[in-house]
Amino acid sequence: MSDALARWNPLTPLVAALVLVVLAYAGPAPVSAPLALVVALALAWRTGVGARVTWLALIVGVPTFALLWLMNGVIAPDGARVGGALPLAAAARDANAIALPLTAAIAALGWTVVGIAPRRLTRALAARGLPAWSAYVLVASLEAVPEARRRAHEVLDAQRCRGVAVRGGVLGRLRSLLPMAGPLIVSLVTESEERALALDARGFEPRRHRTAMVPIEDPGTERAIRAALWIVLAGILAWRFIH
Amino acid sequence: MRTLALALIPRAVALNLALGAVVQALKLPVYLDSVGTILVAALVGPWAAIVTGVVSNAVLGLLSSPTLFAFIPVAAVIGGLAGVAARLGVFRSVAAATVTGAVIGAAAGLASVPILLALFGGVTASGTGLITLALRAMHLPLPVAAAIASTSTDVVDKALSCALVALVIARLPRRLTARFGVAHPG
Repeated sequence: MSDALARWNPLTPLVAALVLVVLAYAGPAPVSAPLALVVALALAWRTGVGARVTWLALIVGVPTFALLWLMNGVIAPDGARVGGALPLAAAARDANAIALPLTAAIAALGWTVVGIAPRRLTRALAARGLPAWSAYVLVASLEAVPEARRRAHEVLDAQRCRGVAVRGGVLGRLRSLLPMAGPLIVSLVTESEERALALDARGFEPRRHRTAMVPIEDPGTERAIRAALWIVLAGILAWRFIH
Repeated sequence: MRTLALALIPRAVALNLALGAVVQALKLPVYLDSVGTILVAALVGPWAAIVTGVVSNAVLGLLSSPTLFAFIPVAAVIGGLAGVAARLGVFRSVAAATVTGAVIGAAAGLASVPILLALFGGVTASGTGLITLALRAMHLPLPVAAAIASTSTDVVDKALSCALVALVIARLPRRLTARFGVAHPG
């Protein structure tokens, strides 16, 4: 998580990321996608999460470009839309037209995903009217994942000790699936009954809005920035609609 | 939404993400990343399953790669169809669940094609992308190649996921299935 982003209301970077995604896909080509990518990466590096965001963007963007270039320029040139063989440079331009907006969108969304604590984002959304049940489902899911992964490894170790085969042919390994996955699934379903009792005991009301013990600040300047960002987003969409 | 269903959804989301460890240990050529969604569909119904699918992809997007946000509609399709199938009593028999899973897999594969074409140009950096590439080399049109590649992997995956859910439901205590309002298949 980014310390620099922790000073902001999580909704502000989220709206900024949305604007960058829309700019990458709907803005005036060919400048909008590279511009969105540069801004997203600059924001990421400025807020201390640049390395991870750059990596996230590269591991999606580079293979996508390579596969598209291979597909349109090398492997199936006569299947391409021009009817004849596509020159390799033209295939690279075509691949770039898809891969660059995608990379920019991943960088923008990756900036918020890496930089903002999901729990803080959920609290900010709850403060803006997200119903209690949605906030509960999101936060409880994020918390349940590491516990379930730990339990999965425990079940695997226990079943291996009991002699369940993890090697051999595909059919043999498929037969081991139920003894491996079954106990994990049954334990999670059983646990949900206990959690439901705990929620009922605390008087949890799914449709009510939750009040936060420590509210996330939302100063006027940030609200103004978000309003400006929404106007920019509407402007980009209007431009796209007109052109 | 009842609290029991509400309490099950986060654990089903976690199951979708945690079963990867089992798949990896057994080196199976499937994902099994919708078992939790299908389980909620069988025990609660379509709406809860749609929520489970959507939240699973959102959480996976938050924890690993934002690319997965794009496939949220596909997760919703899987949850919705599995929920409808559950209402028809499909999960009382393993054979019926397997066939239904194959149909759900085909629908999920087809639902992912417009997303693949619009956002990724038809290929993703995965095994499915390589299958698409191979099919394009056989001069198949891009939408057809993308559809065959994604359905071929999804059909097997969802058939196995549905069979697993049917087997597990038969092994759940009767008292627990009754709490969800599901008739015990055993």
